[in-house]
Amino acid sequence: MTMGLEKLILGSNAFEGVSYISRTQALHYMEHFAKEDNIVAILEAANSLGVRAFMCSNCPNIMAALQKFPKAGELSLLPVIPNAYEYAMEASEKGVLGAVLTKAKGFSMYQKVRLGLRALTKIKSVISKDVLDLLLELIHFELAGFEKYKLGGVVLHGQVTDLALSSGNPHILTIFQDLVRDSYEVEPILATHNFGVLLPQLIEWKIKIPVLGPLNQKGFMMRPSKDECEKLVEESGYTIIAKKVLAGGRLTPEEAFPYFQGKKVESFVCGIGSVPEAYHTFSVAKSFLKI
Amino acid sequence: MEEAKKVRIGIIGLGKLGILHTGLVNMIPRAELAGLADINRQLAKYIQQSGLKAPFFSDLGQMLGEVPLDAAIVCTPASANLGIAEKCIQAGLDVFIEKPLAHTFEAAKRIAALVSQKEVVHATGYLFAHMGLFKKAKSLLEANVIGAVHRFRSSMYTSEVFGRKKGWVYDRSQSGGGVVINVASHLLYLLHWYFGPVRSVFAQAKNIYLDVEDAASVIFECGRDVVGSLDTSWSVPGYRLPYIDVRVEGDNGTLELNNDYIKLYLYKSQKGFAKEWTTIYKIDLPVTSKFELGAEGLYEEDQDFVDCCLDRTSPAVTWQDGLEVQRLIEAIYRSAEGRAVVGLEEVE
Ligand SMILES: NC(=O)c1ccc[n+]([C@@H]2O[C@H](COP(=O)([O-])OP(=O)(O)OC[C@H]3O[C@@H](n4cnc5c(N)ncnc54)[C@H](O)[C@@H]3O)[C@@H](O)[C@H]2O)c1
Repeated sequence: MTMGLEKLILGSNAFEGVSYISRTQALHYMEHFAKEDNIVAILEAANSLGVRAFMCSNCPNIMAALQKFPKAGELSLLPVIPNAYEYAMEASEKGVLGAVLTKAKGFSMYQKVRLGLRALTKIKSVISKDVLDLLLELIHFELAGFEKYKLGGVVLHGQVTDLALSSGNPHILTIFQDLVRDSYEVEPILATHNFGVLLPQLIEWKIKIPVLGPLNQKGFMMRPSKDECEKLVEESGYTIIAKKVLAGGRLTPEEAFPYFQGKKVESFVCGIGSVPEAYHTFSVAKSFLKI
Repeated sequence: MEEAKKVRIGIIGLGKLGILHTGLVNMIPRAELAGLADINRQLAKYIQQSGLKAPFFSDLGQMLGEVPLDAAIVCTPASANLGIAEKCIQAGLDVFIEKPLAHTFEAAKRIAALVSQKEVVHATGYLFAHMGLFKKAKSLLEANVIGAVHRFRSSMYTSEVFGRKKGWVYDRSQSGGGVVINVASHLLYLLHWYFGPVRSVFAQAKNIYLDVEDAASVIFECGRDVVGSLDTSWSVPGYRLPYIDVRVEGDNGTLELNNDYIKLYLYKSQKGFAKEWTTIYKIDLPVTSKFELGAEGLYEEDQDFVDCCLDRTSPAVTWQDGLEVQRLIEAIYRSAEGRAVVGLEEVE
């Protein structure tokens, strides 16, 4: 059961300079959203339309915007962890393990105990103390910046979910699930770029957890195929959160949202690049989804 | 019923790319991840608990001796590739080597020579060959949609180096150079694929922060009277990921290609494309891979290698292609060093 998952969620891709349309747009986003006030303006617009959930990473401009946004306390934040981009950059100098170990150091015994105690008993049978400590440290490190805000869930980055999926490793996913539920008392969510491959595997592994995947009328990023993903939405019984709803900007909200009418999708994450876009997208979404 | 034969694969070097390849191989139905090797012993405990079933070895010789394998995927720093390739070929394996083929032209030549007399499936990890948009551009150029090509301009930029950096990538003895071999080699593969063979290059390179080049500009002369240029840097802000841009001019118009789209401008309609502007977005191309991890094209690349191992055919990018790119890289470095035009036939 997913408690308190909002229907519409503001996404942060544009704030991180991500565009699937063009370099010109990416550059505009990068420059525009380097100023946290411009992110605040979008948070305001979304808020005025009743969109109170925000899925984001811990990028400095986003954290600065949250500091400045007067209604940040009303937001339900869904941090995406880890900040995979930062790790990849560090790994080119320190190697993958080096980057991970560097992040994890400097975490006190007290924090470890506070976070890990309840989860530990379940987990220690499947994983050594060393690796468990490392995971605890990493999750806490990534969430530390969000401590003063209200969490609506914690999202495991798609790269990590998909790596666990492809390594045949259910433990990493159950550990994430247990730690987030036990230590943070919110819902864990798995992001993926392989929705139609992940879901059947989760069913086989008997891991019941909300899944965040690309779902859109165009079939953009819907692997292994649009049909298979749609069938799973219909039949799996999982809590499903759609991302890439506007197919990376190739669909207008009027084209995108009718597709979801009658589909068993719990929530929708929409990245927004400007204030008018926030009003347009969220008001169309609300009218089609009857919110 | 007899189970279909699977290609038993060993992965050598378990850093960024090696980890991705382990996951990808695991997801390819007709491949089996059979062995893992890395000289870093510290990795053993993490690998054991990662869910991967294949045994881990810190000694490649031991893996080759103990584990029955059909093929290897090599993801080590480029300077290690030759020694590893020799051992794998000696062990009778088909071999995929991550790009670039080697850190020097000499080493790349020796790698390519390992298979000249043998029935071995060999591939180089120039990923662009497997990306939908770049394949589409190749088919448009081959179909002469813009007519005979006269000229191209290209660039590849990323925001990575803005001061001293540690790590093998930035150390010439291990990687072979700077932005040209580590980053722009992908674009050089694309130019070789689209416009090759290149006849000569004139290059200038610039060291800003490192002992290897941080930026370079190159002029190419290709066959069929095509001239072109490339500009590259890993020290410009505003590129969170490497971004390529290729602009091609032909008799019947222009083709612009980048990470996001192909834009055609045609003087007259051709092969079903309207006169003047047509844009083909990457987003609009159908999903072709069953799985994605790390980057678009990686799954297709491994799938192609596995298929070729089974069918005994030649992958999209062979070691010979890898060697030709390496020849270009060497020519660029020699030209920059000697401040002179270098003919590709001089690089042998
Ligand atoms: N296709 C692409 O887009 C792409 C992107 C990045 C890197 N690469 C290439 O992939 C290769 C690996 O790069 P990376 O970023 O994963 O590097 P990395 O530093 O993250 O990993 C290299 C790994 O190789 C191991 N290693 C070093 N020498 C070894 C040896 N002799 N035997 C066994 N293991 C050894 C190291 O311990 C390390 O774990 C390089 O050739 C690089 O150019 C390709």
